[in-house]
Amino acid sequence: MGISRRNFLIRSAALAGAAVVGSITKVRAGQTPDSRGEGYGVLIDTTFCNGCRKCEWACNEWNKNPNQPIKAYENKSVFETYRRTHAHTFTVVNRFINPLNAEPVYVKKQCMHCQDPACVSACFVEAFTKTGRGAVIYNPDVCVGCRYCMIACPFDIPAYEYHEPVSPGVTKCTLCYDRIRRDGGLPACVEVCPTETLRFGPRKELIAVAHERIRNNLKKYVDYVYGEHEVGGTSWLYLSAVPFEEIGLRQDLGTRPIPDTGKGFMFMVKVLEIVAAWPLVFAAFHAIARLRKKNADTRVSADDKNAEEHDRKS
Amino acid sequence: MKERAVYKRILYFSIILAFFGAALFVVLTGDTYSREETKTHDGKPEDRLIIAHADIFGRLERPGVLFDHGLHVEASEKESCDTCHPGTDDGNLIFAFPFRLMDRNREHVMDGFHKKCIGCHNRMTEAKKKAGPVRCGECHAEEKHSLRTVYPRVDFDFTTHEKHVRSLQKRCILCHHSYNEELVYEEGTEQSCYYCHDAQEQRGPSLAEETKLTLAKGLSIRNVSHARCVNCHLDRAKEGAKAGPVACAQCHTGRYRTIEELSKVSRPDRDQPETHLIHSENGRMKGVQFDHAFHEKNTPHCRCCHHETLRACRECHGPKGSSKGAWISAAHAYHDIFSGYSCAGCHNARKADTQCAGCHHHLTGLDMQKKGQQREYCGVCHSGKREVPVQTGMRALSELTPEKVPEKVTVNVLEKEYEPAVFPHLRIIRKLAAISNESKMASYFHQDVRTLCRGCHHRSDAGAEAARNKPPYCRNCHSVTFDPKDMNRPRLLAVYHRQCMACHEKMKIRAVGCEDCHKAKKTGPDDIF
Ligand code: SF4
Ligand code: SF4
Repeated sequence: MGISRRNFLIRSAALAGAAVVGSITKVRAGQTPDSRGEGYGVLIDTTFCNGCRKCEWACNEWNKNPNQPIKAYENKSVFETYRRTHAHTFTVVNRFINPLNAEPVYVKKQCMHCQDPACVSACFVEAFTKTGRGAVIYNPDVCVGCRYCMIACPFDIPAYEYHEPVSPGVTKCTLCYDRIRRDGGLPACVEVCPTETLRFGPRKELIAVAHERIRNNLKKYVDYVYGEHEVGGTSWLYLSAVPFEEIGLRQDLGTRPIPDTGKGFMFMVKVLEIVAAWPLVFAAFHAIARLRKKNADTRVSADDKNAEEHDRKS
Repeated sequence: MKERAVYKRILYFSIILAFFGAALFVVLTGDTYSREETKTHDGKPEDRLIIAHADIFGRLERPGVLFDHGLHVEASEKESCDTCHPGTDDGNLIFAFPFRLMDRNREHVMDGFHKKCIGCHNRMTEAKKKAGPVRCGECHAEEKHSLRTVYPRVDFDFTTHEKHVRSLQKRCILCHHSYNEELVYEEGTEQSCYYCHDAQEQRGPSLAEETKLTLAKGLSIRNVSHARCVNCHLDRAKEGAKAGPVACAQCHTGRYRTIEELSKVSRPDRDQPETHLIHSENGRMKGVQFDHAFHEKNTPHCRCCHHETLRACRECHGPKGSSKGAWISAAHAYHDIFSGYSCAGCHNARKADTQCAGCHHHLTGLDMQKKGQQREYCGVCHSGKREVPVQTGMRALSELTPEKVPEKVTVNVLEKEYEPAVFPHLRIIRKLAAISNESKMASYFHQDVRTLCRGCHHRSDAGAEAARNKPPYCRNCHSVTFDPKDMNRPRLLAVYHRQCMACHEKMKIRAVGCEDCHKAKKTGPDDIF
C-alpha cells in the first residue's frame, strides 16, 4: 500500500503541476497563431469514391500499421458494418446507401485536422500540436494517458492503444505530416487514390475548387462544403450528392470551434482539479486510514471476546 | 465490518447515481428512442386501416386502432353504408367517420368514435348477435402500436378513363366540373382533378384561388375521389347497372400499367393536335416540330406536361413570361432540365436509365443559360421543318473503320505496378451504337455517331485535333501528375478509373476489380512506398 500510495501522490503532483503550467501559459496551447484559414488540406469528393479501400491500405503501409496484402482490400464484406478508426487503423471507408437511388456511397473517415482542434485544447500536457501546414500531430513522449482528447474530439477520432501493456498512447491520422512537410509531398492516401476522390492542396484553394465543382455541376452536389465551417473549419473537406447526415457526417456540430465553447468548462475542470482534488484525495486517504485503524481495533476486541468466551467455556 | 458498510454505502450511492444518469439519458433521448416504425400490415392492401388521427390528437395516449373495414361491411350487409357514414341532402355519402370528424375537435372526434363504435357493439350484444369489443385494450391493442396502413395511390390512367367514357356514354359531366362561385360544367373544358384538388403539388398563380378553397374545405384529391367514385359506384349498383368496386383493395391495387400497356389505348379526345410546330414569330431559333400524339403514348397522364391546365404552354409561358406563368418564359418552360414538366427535364430524367447512364452520368445537362454551350445540339430539335422526322438509325456508322478509329487502345499509365490495360475501343463504340439504335429517344438525339464519341471524349475539340493530326488522347488534357494550375482537372490515372469504372457500374456491366482490366506485375503496387 505504501509504495503505491507514494507513486500515486507523485503522479498526481505531476498532473496538477502540468495543469497549472498549462492553464497559466496558454489554454489553447500548441496552436500557431496564423493557422486559421491557412495550411493544407484534402478535399474528398464522395461522388467519385468507388470504395476500393486503397487509401486504407496505403495509410497502413506508410504508418507501419498492421497491414494485409493489397488484394485483400478488394473484399467488400467489411462494408456490412459501420467501422470507425481505432488504435492501428487511422482511416476507414464506410458504405452508406443513397436514399434517392439506393446506390452505394463510400465515405472515407479519418481525423479532420480541425483548424482549431478540440484535442489540442483538451490536452493539458501539450501532446497535440496544430502545425502551420495544417496537420494536427501528437507527441507520445509527453502524453500521460488521460484520454481527454478522445472525449473532446467531436468526430470520435483519437484512439487508445488499450492492448499496449507498457506505454499505451493515443493514435490518429497525422495527415502524413512526415510526407507533406516537404514541398510536393502528398499524404499516402491521396497519392494512391485511383479516382482522385482525394485532392491535396492549400485549404483556401480547395474550398474555392469545391464551390466551383458545385457551381459547374448543376444540382449534382448538395450546395455545401462540409468542413468549411464545421467547428471553426477543418482541413479535410467533403463534397456530397446526398445530405451529409445520410453519410455519417454530423451537421449539428455548429461553426464555433470546440475550444471556444469548452474553454470555460475546461478551465473550470482544471481549477477543480487543482483546488478541489487535493482536499478530496486527502479526505479519502484519511477516511481509509481511519477505517483501517478502527478495523484493527475491532478485530482486536473481537479476538479478546473470543478469548474470553473460550476461557469461560474451559 | 465497518469497512464493508462503507463500501456498501458507496455501492448504493453509485447505483442511485447510475439510476439518475439513466433517467436523464432517457429524458434527453426519449424522442429518438420512442420513434415508431412505419409499416403497412403485411405490405399488401386489405380492407383494413389504422385509425390514429395523429393530425388531430398529436401524440397518442393509446395505440391506434386497427379497424377491419371489410369485416364491418360484411357484418352490416343488411343495413346500408349510412349506418356509419353521414349523408348529405342530395343523397350522397361522406366517406368519413364519425360524423363530426370534420370538426377536427379532439373531444368531438374521440366521443364520436367511442359512442358510435361501443354503442353499436353494445346494441349487437343485447340483440344476442355477434359483436365487436367494448373494452379499451381490445381495440387499442398495444401490439398494434407500430402499424400504419398505407394504401397505394390509385392511378386513374388512360385505360381506366376510356373504360369510364365508354360505360358512361361520354357523359363527362358526371365527373368533370369547373368552379365559378359554384360548380359548373362546360363542354370541352374538362381538366384533371389534380389541378384543383391536389395540395401536395405546388400549383401556379392561375390556380391559386381554387386550391386555396379546396384546401380550406378539406376537398383533397383523396376525399373528393372517394366521394365521387364510391357514391357513383353505390348508386349504380342500387340501380342494378354495372358498377365499379367499393372495397378499398379493389381500387388500391398497387399495380400500375406500364407505358407499353397504355400505348394500346386510343387517344383521349380533347381536340388536341397530332403534331404542333412550336415557334415564336421573331425568335432567334427555328421552330420545333412537336409530335404531340407520340408523346401522349409515352406518358401516363396529360398532367405530366400540362401541369395546371390542358391549354397550350404559351398561354401562360409567353416569350417574356408573365404573372400568369410565375414569370417563367417559354424558353425556360421548355428547357429547364430539372423541371418535371419541361421537354429537357423529362428527357434529362431518362438519362438515368441503366443503358444511358454510362455516358450521361458525367455529362452535364444542356444548360441554356451557360455560355459556350455546344450549339450544334440545339438543331436536333430546332429544325424548323414541319414534317415529323423519320427514325433512320445512326448515321456515319460506316465511318467506323479500324483505320480511322483504333480498334484497341492500350493504357499503360500504371506500367510500374500493372501490365498494360487493353481497351477494346471499337467494340465498345459498336455496342453503344447498337444500344442507342434500340431506343427511340436515343436514336433521335444520337443521329450522328460522333455524338457517341462525346460520351468519353467529352471536351475534346475534334476539328482542331484532326487539323493538327493529333488523336483525341485523354492525356492531351489530363496530365500524369496532379495539375497544380487547374485543381479541378483530374490526373490521368483518375480519369481512367472514374470514367471506366463509373460507366461499368452505372450500366451494370460487370464487377470491376483491379485485375479485370490490368494484370498485376510481380512488383505490385505494394512497392510504391
Ligand atoms: S482510395 Fe480513393 S476511391 Fe479508393 S476508397 Fe479510398 S478514397 Fe475511395
Ligand atoms: S478531428 Fe478530432 S483528433 Fe482530429 S484535429 Fe479535430 S479534434 Fe483533433
